[in-house]
Amino acid sequence: MRPENESTIKETVKRFISSSTNITNLDDDENLFESGLANSLFAVQLMTFLEKTFAIEVEMDDLDIENFKSLNASTAFVVKKSGKRDNG
Amino acid sequence: MQHLLTCAQKAKYLEFKNFVSSNVEPFSEKWDQEQKIPERVIFSVAESGYLGSTLPLNYGGQGWDIVTFGLLNEALGRGSSSLTSVVTVQAMVSMALLKWGTDEQKAKWLPPLATGNMIGAFALTEPGVGSAVQALATEFTQDAVHDTLILNGKKQWITCGQHAGLFLVFGKLGQSSIACLVPADALGLEIEPIGGLMGFRSAGLAKLTFNNVRVRSSDIVGRPGFALSHVAPVGLQYGRISTACSGLGLLRGCFEESIAYSAVRRIDEKTVGEFGMIRTLIAGMGVDLEAGNFLCHNACRAENDHVPEAFEKALTAKLFTSRAAVRAASDAVQIRGASGCHESSPVSRFYRDAKIMEIIEGTTQIHEHLLGKIFVDQAARLCN
Repeated sequence: MRPENESTIKETVKRFISSSTNITNLDDDENLFESGLANSLFAVQLMTFLEKTFAIEVEMDDLDIENFKSLNASTAFVVKKSGKRDNG
Repeated sequence: MQHLLTCAQKAKYLEFKNFVSSNVEPFSEKWDQEQKIPERVIFSVAESGYLGSTLPLNYGGQGWDIVTFGLLNEALGRGSSSLTSVVTVQAMVSMALLKWGTDEQKAKWLPPLATGNMIGAFALTEPGVGSAVQALATEFTQDAVHDTLILNGKKQWITCGQHAGLFLVFGKLGQSSIACLVPADALGLEIEPIGGLMGFRSAGLAKLTFNNVRVRSSDIVGRPGFALSHVAPVGLQYGRISTACSGLGLLRGCFEESIAYSAVRRIDEKTVGEFGMIRTLIAGMGVDLEAGNFLCHNACRAENDHVPEAFEKALTAKLFTSRAAVRAASDAVQIRGASGCHESSPVSRFYRDAKIMEIIEGTTQIHEHLLGKIFVDQAARLCN
């Protein structure tokens, strides 16, 4: 994955988080779930968004809070899954 | 809403309605009175492919789109809420397993669930723990034997618990939420039928008691800690879509029964339908029916398109149709008068079943709480 693609992913994820939660001035490493500002449906909405937007599939082995806890974590997860998909 | 359907969806809807008029509607009152749906009826639903409708073809399912799944539930809901609930819980278990199961779990369980040779049930609710699922008391503990867990606890109001061969059981492992597959014949599992229900009387509800039931770690679905945040929501999403569409079918039943009665029942020289007060009730039903159709279609389309908004669309549709079904059923009984109060009348069953729609897959109040927060938060973001 090229760096500009990673930054595009990050921007796209950031827009979704900002439009789905009441977190303002989102810090890249802010824990979305500990902040209490994400509603109870947000976890599955974020997962659905990542799957739909980046054509990846969140699987059982991916169920780790480290993959989704922050903007940076979600971006890194998408980069990793996209790489696996593209490399077969 | 017909104009929003594809030709294939229209054809399937016609097939579903024909199935219901031949195999369901003539018998619904009898099942309700006997508090039981005969096994052969569930077999005929399975044989028609209706229990594996949303599962992929490679697992033996029908691979239908979610709009077609919604149409199936609407058509069945017109005939029997109880029978529809078999389709509801089968989809809840199957789709949660499809999303979060291991390859081995999917290969073992999805083909029999798809054909209906195995009936699944979603064991989430407990005595004293309904919608507040964070307070689950059912407990899994690590056994001394390698890769084995011990399960203890009670589950209540489990739809299809009397028919199920497989339960998806939710509980706690230490501080983590956990979901696990438990066969109905597991040693230490007691299944007790629940009778005397007001509505959904033939939905085969059961109480489950787990006394030191041994389950394999390989039967855990998803990973510990994600059962309530990720596994349950997939099942509940299908539960809400199914219930929303089933409620819509019940609403259509109230409407059709009411207009048919109003056209023939006469008071002096006038039919009942010529009275303004009755027309007001029927107009309300008709408008709710139209609105419910659009909301259900919207929810099904969103789920089919796999978009994040799908969850709130399903909540919206379920909240609307369950409440509208209650209003319509009450008005349908009112229009029928005394004859609508007898157990031989479909509207009597609609009246009792409709109220259950407001309870299952999250109460009306839970839906209002969730949607209220979603809408207020959306408004707050628009202001920022």
